Amino acid sequence: MAHAVISCLHANLAAFEAVLDDIDQQGITTITCLGDLVGYGPQPNEVVELVQQRAIPTCQGCWDEDIIDGLNACECSYPSQLAERRGHQAHHWTADRLTDNNKAFLATLPITLRRDKLLFVHGSPNSQHEYLLPDMNAFAALERVETAGAETLFCGHTHQPYVRELSGGSIRVSVQQHGNGPATEQEMTLPMRRIVNAGSVGEPRHGTTKATYVVHDDNTGNVSIREVDYDVAKTCRAIVEAGLPDVFAWRLSHGFEYAERAEDASHVCER
Amino acid sequence: MQQTWLITGPPGCGKTNWIRETLLNHGGACAYLRLDGATHEELGLGHNAGIDQGWLMDQIPQLEDWSGSAPSSSVPSDDRFVLIEAQQFSSSTQSGDGLDPQIKQQLQRFNLTPDRTLHFGIDPDLPKQDTLDFTELEAWHLALQGCVWDPNSLSSFWFELVNGAYGDVYRAKALMNMPDGRSFFCNWMVSQSGSQFLPLQAVAPPTGRPNRLSHLVIQGKGLIPTGIESTILDCLLSDDVLELQQAPLRDQQPNLQPTL
Amino acid sequence: MERWALVSGLRGDLDLYEQIQADIKKQRGAAHLFVLGDMISPDRNCDALLTRLRRPKRGDLQPNCIYGWWEEQLLVDYGYRGDQKAEVRSDPDGATTMHQLREAVSQEHINWLASLQFGFIELDCGLIHGSSADVGDPLKETTSPLILLDRLTRLDVNRLFTARSGQQFRLQLTGGQIQSKVKDPTGEQQREQAVPKRSVIGIGSGEKYTLYDPASDRVEFLSVAVRSRLSNLGFG
Repeated sequence: MAHAVISCLHANLAAFEAVLDDIDQQGITTITCLGDLVGYGPQPNEVVELVQQRAIPTCQGCWDEDIIDGLNACECSYPSQLAERRGHQAHHWTADRLTDNNKAFLATLPITLRRDKLLFVHGSPNSQHEYLLPDMNAFAALERVETAGAETLFCGHTHQPYVRELSGGSIRVSVQQHGNGPATEQEMTLPMRRIVNAGSVGEPRHGTTKATYVVHDDNTGNVSIREVDYDVAKTCRAIVEAGLPDVFAWRLSHGFEYAERAEDASHVCER
Repeated sequence: MQQTWLITGPPGCGKTNWIRETLLNHGGACAYLRLDGATHEELGLGHNAGIDQGWLMDQIPQLEDWSGSAPSSSVPSDDRFVLIEAQQFSSSTQSGDGLDPQIKQQLQRFNLTPDRTLHFGIDPDLPKQDTLDFTELEAWHLALQGCVWDPNSLSSFWFELVNGAYGDVYRAKALMNMPDGRSFFCNWMVSQSGSQFLPLQAVAPPTGRPNRLSHLVIQGKGLIPTGIESTILDCLLSDDVLELQQAPLRDQQPNLQPTL
Repeated sequence: MERWALVSGLRGDLDLYEQIQADIKKQRGAAHLFVLGDMISPDRNCDALLTRLRRPKRGDLQPNCIYGWWEEQLLVDYGYRGDQKAEVRSDPDGATTMHQLREAVSQEHINWLASLQFGFIELDCGLIHGSSADVGDPLKETTSPLILLDRLTRLDVNRLFTARSGQQFRLQLTGGQIQSKVKDPTGEQQREQAVPKRSVIGIGSGEKYTLYDPASDRVEFLSVAVRSRLSNLGFG
């Protein structure tokens, strides 16, 4: 049976509505969300309320956590002072705008969701802040899925959708112990595992302005990446009307992230 | 014998780059003077903030700067090569030599008579450039004396600027200070591919805010000065942050003391 | 090139430290000493050992120290890690243990312990108490090779020296590979990645220590005979 996974809505109502329409048109009724409902975008309350209205199981993203815990993200999440200032400005604006009820909802979100052998996280099973990029070390990628006890790991956070299959793996080792006896040889066969990144609904970074999400068929195992057009200009107008920096509208309309991320994708910021 | 050349052309056609290469090839005594451009309705001149002469003075140590006033003709002439630059949107048809009267007036005031005049876009001796047909142009500038940029922020800001986040920018040039004491000549022209970011030879010590020319000049259409200024403010380092970045650099040079 | 001596789990035992220093001197060519954490513990007063580590006597091999699990417990409890609660406090006797630990280390050493690094990277080798995933990560020879490879990859080192498990072992990755197929909006790519030739070395703990020669990549597991330490118990 097909189910949809969405992520990184970033308070972009028009994009979220377009994605929901696309999912509804396919007759898909099971949707899971990987967090970052808010952050930078102009409609945090509307997006949070629509998630609740549609009863979409959601795990907590790094921005959702930031709003609840207060601004204490480590500075190395941002590669520049400009990106950091914009991030902080977006954080304060969002924290001011969100209703107490909606904040309370974000606080209840679990860090991970699990359904059979499927695991749903925002960043990685280790942290909401770890980026699982498509070119990360293949063995390290497999370790993330395997250690979490899953067969398919759904993640977001990078805003770049992909499906990665890790197969045919093995590791051979030789172990020497104290006592200097002969080394013992072993071979470990690695299971096939997958990482599926849902991209971003509200702040795409894959080179176009289209919202992205993924559809997974439990029976066939097939995963497809869906790209959805939406009224970007409408969100841009909302950004300006909301009093967020005009340059956010320019960046969104050109398919750029609102603020650059640090280059070191493996960095996990310590709070 | 002293040779005096006048180089004219529209903004961003490459006058300053050509002058730099020409003077470097000359190698001997030389002087530079930038005249105020010929004004026209609808065509905003780039403010003469001294960016071009600051850049040229850094690159060519023996270059005399005649931007104050040209030496009197009683100084013995030698093999000095004098280059005069002036912004002129098109080769004026108002006079036979193609020179705008406003430029000619300034030449008279400085008592300079060019031995040779070259117009970018006209003279074959000059590199062919895609000179744009300007019919309407706004200009804006910002003094940045004493300001120091977060380097990665400058990259982001410049990217936004030249890609239209703050209006259609046709021409942008600047001298910008970095926390490690370097200064960069930043240069963008819409007809060229890519921006130039060229470090100046002179490096200030990491002992606070440098006391040297720093300025941003922009020409374009539909410019959004409030957006530009707001972003720039977010890119500039405060005293505290500047000190945090400079202190380790000073540790490597123990004779330096902070001046903040 | 000179050999490295790798020690951990001294747990405040100055006598043991002196024995190890003497033993190292008897070995040939060991010139660099790394102490990989757990220099303190609630077992005994640790001040004398800490003083000796900070101000070595003439003839001592200069120790290069990093913090370990017990140091982390103390620093967390003193608030050096934000609002976290020390893991040991979750144990049934946690409060007592933490009290003993605090009593075992006087204030003058706390800032020094807080200044210690998590690990060293030397000549493409990572020297850490546990692993870069966690200071308490007990990497053993029986730990899944996938996890060991991950820990090596996180530090991007060829050799990872770890002490947490207390075991002495050398696990070498000798071969293997994996296929990675990535599909994204622009298309599909397939790559094979080989297992790199890397090692994880458990250096032991307490009286068990290790000598390593970076030039020949040779590991020697050693142990000092432990003198009776009954007289060292308590705070006398």
